[in-house]
Amino acid sequence: MLCEECHKANAVVFLKLAVNNKVTETHLCPACAARKGMGLGLETGAFNISDIVGNMSGYFKDFLPAERRTLRCGGCGLKYADFKETGRLGCPECYSSFEPQLTELMSRIHGASQHTGRAYAGGAFSKLSKTEAARRLTETRAELKAAVAREDFEAAARLRDSIKELGARSGRH
Amino acid sequence: MDVIKAFRPYVTWANARGAWPEMIFSTRVRFARNLEGFSFPNRSEPRQLAEIRRLAMRAARESGLFTRGHFIKTEALSGLEKRFLVERHHVSHSLVASVLASAAAVSNDEDLSVMVNEEDHLRLQCLTAGFAIEEAFRSALKLDEALGRALPFAYGAKFGFLTACPTNVGTGMRVSCLAHLPALSRLGSMAQVLENLSHLGVTARGIYGEGTYVLGDFYQISNATCLGRSEEELCQNMDRVIRNLIRQEIAAREAMLKGRLKLKTEDAVYRALGLLKHARSLSYEEFMQNISLARMGAAMGWDMGLDFSTFNQVTLLMQPAHIQAAAGRALTPEERDAFRAEYTRKKLG
Repeated sequence: MLCEECHKANAVVFLKLAVNNKVTETHLCPACAARKGMGLGLETGAFNISDIVGNMSGYFKDFLPAERRTLRCGGCGLKYADFKETGRLGCPECYSSFEPQLTELMSRIHGASQHTGRAYAGGAFSKLSKTEAARRLTETRAELKAAVAREDFEAAARLRDSIKELGARSGRH
Repeated sequence: MDVIKAFRPYVTWANARGAWPEMIFSTRVRFARNLEGFSFPNRSEPRQLAEIRRLAMRAARESGLFTRGHFIKTEALSGLEKRFLVERHHVSHSLVASVLASAAAVSNDEDLSVMVNEEDHLRLQCLTAGFAIEEAFRSALKLDEALGRALPFAYGAKFGFLTACPTNVGTGMRVSCLAHLPALSRLGSMAQVLENLSHLGVTARGIYGEGTYVLGDFYQISNATCLGRSEEELCQNMDRVIRNLIRQEIAAREAMLKGRLKLKTEDAVYRALGLLKHARSLSYEEFMQNISLARMGAAMGWDMGLDFSTFNQVTLLMQPAHIQAAAGRALTPEERDAFRAEYTRKKLG
């Protein structure tokens, strides 16, 4: 996709703005994004994503609707507007206090808003993440099919057991 | 100097090993973690910070992974000691520059370390020699699991491990390789390479990580995003990216040895070697520029008088605080440059 500003270079910065319920999308190349204060810092040879968030925060601040300006975290009292200013949250609870706003921001930063890695509860980690368990499940099913085809029933029984375990882990059967 | 003296002059993670030891210096996997029930460091009271530090250091000690290791409170460090630990990649600039009650634990082999009260309560990392993503990942997991058993990590089903900056949330994992890419830099292809990396969710930084400049053509290549993919997927993605980057660097090196460029390349490499062998004063920047060319020359098969392990160790030891550690005393910048030139001459015979 070409940059909508200069129509020459490839667009790498995708900016989605929601102002008064009207959503606009802008696609920019690094040079034009930099001119608008959202540079990737490519020209310096060293860049980092928090610069983008930081810069975008400034850009978005002016458009914050009134209810977001007064929104506060129930845990530490951090104002959502202050988070937009600094790009830093105040405490773990901020994530539930600002969940709808952060869900939108996460999609912009990470291209996703749902954790799929290892789970953690009560001091213990799940051995495998959901996606990894699902991937291994597909693999193991194929191995089982091959084991049955070559009449290796001992291996097949072992594989069936691990499929059971992986199925429980990945949430699929 | 006491903290510095407690560290060995040679670092195991700087040994050249693995595939492409000439290009991949080291691999690092880190996890960002916070404790449930406390505000993040920038919003915590001094009393809370001191408590977090006490809990974290105790958990590190009791994990058994830091036996005969180093436990360091940052306010007890001199400027030189701070810089030394940053140069060793055990702590970040922001940790030692912080006025908060921060600390670090470093294992005896210097492969594992924990930063306490940096941007997050805990930053756990494993640093290994060469291109070894899987190995670094396994060791970092072990550390993560040990500390996660002892301390209540802040975690939510939706956003995963919760961090002060939303860029680190999810797995909280950063996988990075320190890559030497002199040919791509010299052929002027680096800007394009960096742009392509940004499409793949990968970022490149300078030698000391976030916000630092590129020195001696060394780049820290790491994943930019860490939510919505499993830890294994992040490792696999980085493995693919690094292999691809290596292929591009190899192609660039081949291009530098073709036609008219060959003489130019050879001339640049041997001039650099001459400078390193004969200079009487060498600034760190000048040393890095020239050792980079000599390293590339060695990778091209020319005799530079050093193997890659020695290249790595020398590159580490010539850093400003390390030079002073080797001299056993604080040096003025002029003395440092003279000492660096003398040491380099000796090494290169």
